[in-house]
Amino acid sequence: MLNVDHLTKRYGTITAVDDLSFEVRPGRVTGFLGPNGSGKTTTLRMLLGLADPDAGTATINGARYRDLPHPARTVGAALEADCFHPGRSALEHLRIMATAAGIPRHRTAQVLDLVGLAEAARRRVGTFSLGMRQRLTLATTLLGDPGVLILDEPLNGLDPDGIRWMRDLLRQLAGQERTVLVSSHLLAEAAQTVDDVVVINHGRLAAQGPVAALAAATSTTRIRTPDAELLMSVLARQHITARLAAPGTVEIRGTDPDRVARIAAAASVIVLELSRHTDNLEDLFFDLTSDRAMEVSAS
Amino acid sequence: MTTIVRLIRAELRKLATTRTFLITLASSAGLAVISVIAIAAAAGKNGTPALGTTASTDQMLKLGVVCCVAMLVLGIIASGGEYRHKTIIPAMLAAPRRGALVAAKVAGITVAGLVLSGLTFGLGLATALADLAAHHIYHLPADTGRMFAGSVIAATLFGVIGVALGYLTRSTVAAVVGAVGWVLFAEYAILRTLAPQLFKWLISGTATVLTNPPAPGSTAPAPLTAAVVLGAYALVLLGIAARLVLRRDVA
Repeated sequence: MLNVDHLTKRYGTITAVDDLSFEVRPGRVTGFLGPNGSGKTTTLRMLLGLADPDAGTATINGARYRDLPHPARTVGAALEADCFHPGRSALEHLRIMATAAGIPRHRTAQVLDLVGLAEAARRRVGTFSLGMRQRLTLATTLLGDPGVLILDEPLNGLDPDGIRWMRDLLRQLAGQERTVLVSSHLLAEAAQTVDDVVVINHGRLAAQGPVAALAAATSTTRIRTPDAELLMSVLARQHITARLAAPGTVEIRGTDPDRVARIAAAASVIVLELSRHTDNLEDLFFDLTSDRAMEVSAS
Repeated sequence: MTTIVRLIRAELRKLATTRTFLITLASSAGLAVISVIAIAAAAGKNGTPALGTTASTDQMLKLGVVCCVAMLVLGIIASGGEYRHKTIIPAMLAAPRRGALVAAKVAGITVAGLVLSGLTFGLGLATALADLAAHHIYHLPADTGRMFAGSVIAATLFGVIGVALGYLTRSTVAAVVGAVGWVLFAEYAILRTLAPQLFKWLISGTATVLTNPPAPGSTAPAPLTAAVVLGAYALVLLGIAARLVLRRDVA
């Protein structure tokens, strides 16, 4: 379980992370989404003890990363796909990490096999493609067989086969009741991988919860009616905010369409058409990170 | 196995698994051998001391500067390279206690310093012995052992200074250019001539006391004093670097 509680980080006059709180549960793949510069990487760095917060706490299984008794065996983390000495072989890189973390040497061969790099084990990392480096990064995170995985942009540089492989692996790891947090800007790919999302914008929480529930909470009900003004005033009396999307078309966000239909019927509003529009993750992301976005939470 | 022992083993493995250490070792040992052969070949010519004299053999065995510069560069690459290749991130994830990480790096470079300077001086000494034996000369100056030990101590401390500079600058190129430029150009080439009273207390001045035989009438500090002063330079720089490593966010 990951807990971020009122986390704040400032760099001079810029607040990179602003009173951010969220939690990530085990057994699910959680997407950590946000535009460039939204504070994702800064948050991950604070979670992993690489940067100190100005306020708030970030804990893993209830403890700060640096206070974990066996950090590399509790958390597998990768913040960059290129944290290797180019002159060192994949096997040597993993052996060094295993030695430093007190992980048995035989794990290096196991994880190389798991990520499909067994045959390239003795090749210098400098000759690796970006996709192979991503696999080696993942192998490094899995060395300690950790219960928590934190991966920054793990889908970058992977070909379609690699993306599918990574997606299946992440789902498999979550299926083993591990906590998996994945940041990504590849929304279409992330949509097929994650169960939950944490969306941040300008360092603040924009949304968190299961993707399906968030999509429902931000879905739009559109009504075509000749009584648009009457419908809007009736909805306003029910404290439901509606807007005139086009002449004769009223749009309501985040309200159950059945309820809207009943209110319209009760007010004798003629409804020519009622439709529900549910955002996909990409639409949801842009809705949540636009300037007019509000904080949304769904459970 | 304790954390620090694991980290030292990891540091030694880092040194052993890239070409940097081997290239630096081969370069310094090769330079030492070439230097000894060149001095032996020139002995007795153009007013230089004759082969087999104490002055000539001492000149052959002034190998400390090679060891020191090699270890300075190696120390910088060992720590600054972690930032250059971003391996500092997985290193700090494996060992979030940064003080232990710095201590292990220093221990690793100390071992490397002992090996590199021992082999470099040893190979230079073996070459000198072979050259002298070829001329039926079978004796060495009395201070040979002191020069050997002084070279090893000075080179190892230069390695520690290099580690500190690599952490301070996080840039191997800037640190190597700055440090080698300061030691060889500012101190050794300029201040040694213009301000000898100051030079003898500087980094390369104290190292010279350790690596070279004492010059007649020299006012240089005693070898032990020089070792303490050079060690103090290394410790102060390392202290500042460690403080930065402990406090600085890793980006």
